[in-house]
Amino acid sequence: MIYYVARRLAVAVPTLLILIIVSYVLMYAAPGGPFDTERTLPPEVMANLQHKYGLDQPLVVQIWRYVVSIVTEFDFGPSFQYTDQTVNDIIRQGFPVTLTYGAWSFLVAVLAGVSLGIAAAVCHNTFLDYLCVGVSVGAQVLPNFVLAPVLTLVFTLWLAWLPGGGWQGGHWPYVVLPVIALSTSFMASIARMTRSSMLEALNADFIRTARAKGLPMRRIVIRHALKPAMLPVISYLGPTFVGMITGSVVIDVFFATGGIGQFFVNSALNRDYPVIMGITILAGALTIAFNLVVDLLYAWLDPRIRY
Amino acid sequence: MQASKLRTMFIAMTAVILAASFTQAWSAESHPVTGEALSDNQTFTYRLLDQFPTLDPQLNQDVSGFHVIRDLFEGLLSQDAEGNLVPGVATHFTASDNNTTYTFALRPDARWSNGDPVTAHDFVYAWRRAVDPVTASPYGWYLELTQIVNAADILAGEKDPAELGVNAVDDHTLEVRLFAPLPYFPAMTTYATLFPAHRATIEAHGATWTAPGNMVSNGAYVLSELVLNEYHRRVKNPEYWAADNVIIEEVTGLVINDDNQALTRYRAGELDHLQPLPAGQYPALKEEMPDEATSVPRLCSYYYAINHSESGHPALKDVRVRRALSIAIDRNVIVERLLKGGQWPAYNFTHLKTAGFEMPEIAYASLDQTERDDEARRLMAASGIENLTLRLIYNTSESHKQIATVISQMWKQKLGVTTELANFEWKTYLNIMDNQEFDLARSGWCGDYNEASTFLDLLTTTHGANRGKYSNPDVDELMNASKTVEDPGAIYAEVEQILAEDMAIIPIYHYANTFLLSSDIRGWPYDNVENNWYSKNLYRVAD
Repeated sequence: MIYYVARRLAVAVPTLLILIIVSYVLMYAAPGGPFDTERTLPPEVMANLQHKYGLDQPLVVQIWRYVVSIVTEFDFGPSFQYTDQTVNDIIRQGFPVTLTYGAWSFLVAVLAGVSLGIAAAVCHNTFLDYLCVGVSVGAQVLPNFVLAPVLTLVFTLWLAWLPGGGWQGGHWPYVVLPVIALSTSFMASIARMTRSSMLEALNADFIRTARAKGLPMRRIVIRHALKPAMLPVISYLGPTFVGMITGSVVIDVFFATGGIGQFFVNSALNRDYPVIMGITILAGALTIAFNLVVDLLYAWLDPRIRY
Repeated sequence: MQASKLRTMFIAMTAVILAASFTQAWSAESHPVTGEALSDNQTFTYRLLDQFPTLDPQLNQDVSGFHVIRDLFEGLLSQDAEGNLVPGVATHFTASDNNTTYTFALRPDARWSNGDPVTAHDFVYAWRRAVDPVTASPYGWYLELTQIVNAADILAGEKDPAELGVNAVDDHTLEVRLFAPLPYFPAMTTYATLFPAHRATIEAHGATWTAPGNMVSNGAYVLSELVLNEYHRRVKNPEYWAADNVIIEEVTGLVINDDNQALTRYRAGELDHLQPLPAGQYPALKEEMPDEATSVPRLCSYYYAINHSESGHPALKDVRVRRALSIAIDRNVIVERLLKGGQWPAYNFTHLKTAGFEMPEIAYASLDQTERDDEARRLMAASGIENLTLRLIYNTSESHKQIATVISQMWKQKLGVTTELANFEWKTYLNIMDNQEFDLARSGWCGDYNEASTFLDLLTTTHGANRGKYSNPDVDELMNASKTVEDPGAIYAEVEQILAEDMAIIPIYHYANTFLLSSDIRGWPYDNVENNWYSKNLYRVAD
């Protein structure tokens, strides 16, 4: 098992390196540059800017310098767009924001989704089942860019309970609406997935055996059916968790949270190369890490899986 | 009973007295000039569409950053509510040698927020910094535009920044030397690039000198908090030389990207000022909140650039085709049915509200649309061109799309011209325009300063934003001559006539700014066409 983890981590290094190179090249292939503005800059001004940020070097040299400064100093460079900030500053400010609302949303989505799914499966083809399916289908078709303005309308304008945006260091009233908006559709997916795999598990032979032995229903569901039923859900949750904590541009834009989701999209539009790269690497590293976590969870959930 | 009532009254009165003694100096006072009773709450919260990229005056190249920088810093001169020049750090100036040498007298009581005096050396340092290749300011060209001696050579790395044509005669006298006369040089000192900088702070903190806590500034406010893409806050600077006249104590800018979300938050009372309004909603909001919704002129023009270069459509080389396309557009439909925000139909390039600009009599502007349409058909027929297909590009936006669709319909119906529409995100769009890969391209231009040349210079051969590559020696010569004459008004009128005759571009409309402003906020500069507002001029009246 330790050998397995070590091997996976060793593979992660070249994976990240490939990610850096491919992203860098793709980014360069996009038309336009970071300093293109409505007014074309005089050549001498453009040359000074290119020189300051090392863009006058060949692509290979740029990538080499970039990787070296990350490895030796953990320096992801300055932002071209927000010239008073470094990429490290931006991630240090924005990542805790998305991590907070993302982790809460994940928790809400998993708890509510799994509960709904189990309830629907256990009460298969009853009113409760239809209600759960109805709720999750409803939540699924309500995308967050529709939900976010509706939530603000209701909770900020009509009821005046919660602020319509901002973050204020993660003070709870500012976290509630982003969490609802982000978690709803994920909750729906998780509920539907849990329901179907739970139904399958409940019809399995070992469950019939457990029933025949006269075990109480609650014990059968929680001890015996839930673990195998969670396997497909868990493999969905790994990348979902990373997606949630690295932010959603919709949430960041609608609730003005200052999270990195918005920086990611803006940096692509502004050709802010270092910020694009920094957030891509962050998301890449997190994805690798959580895929590993998921694989380890597999072994714990299903005794048949061994590493 | 009686005793408890008395006690309640006593407590209440003590509370009132205590509250009164703790509130700001301005509370329960009246405005020194107008005499209006002022509110206890002298805070101002407004919406920003986007996060400003920088607060470094010399690096700034952006309108959204400039409005904060001019609160935090003060240049030689400043603007009043009408946009007229008023003293800033300089009390007065003299021009000599045929407008090539300017001498500014600096007020001795101007201070930085750390208490240091603001001297002529701070301006010299800042201006050299702006052109220094090491700084690599994207707005370095602004100093070239001011015609300061050696600016261009320093930017190109051919001369030392110390050779810039600005020097401190003494602590309170700044002398600027230009290589060519520029009558509007003083007006240009109101822009961020020419603001002073505090050398010790920049040298101590490097690129992070603009962070709250690090920044030392000389304006009416200092930066107290900044969270990117969320908000920033600036508070009154007690060291500012005119701090006694500054009424608003605290200004908060919230970044809200989405127009409708911003409107909801304005309605919920989270904002005092909201700009811009969601597209097309101005008439309804004006009806609903007549005291709060306003439309004011904004110094920008919307037009379609015509590709005059080799790669442009051959038919567009024919002036009759260009004129037919332009005059067939019913601009009133675009302004009144689509935009609905108080914009003006445009038949020329310079915004009609530009200071000192007198609108010349453009021939096709005085016709009605039926006459124009007849003329357009006649011109198109005379050109002998049939089945014309043109490629019209615009940067992705709902409003640009609507306008392009309507105009292409007009051309199809009136002239039989087919238009292929294509949209691109902004940076790609700029790239395509720079390579002249279009026939017609949606464009807009906002004045850098309030004078007609900021528009008309764009259509000279060498201008960086002349992406249609229009080139007319007469225009070049006239615009060159305009720099040295006492009153260039007649020249501008003549240039506009040439542009209309030649149909160098297709003007569409002159901008207006629509916004909502709380009815208890006063001092807004409605008449400043550059929409340059200074928080120090605002105040909140008591209900």
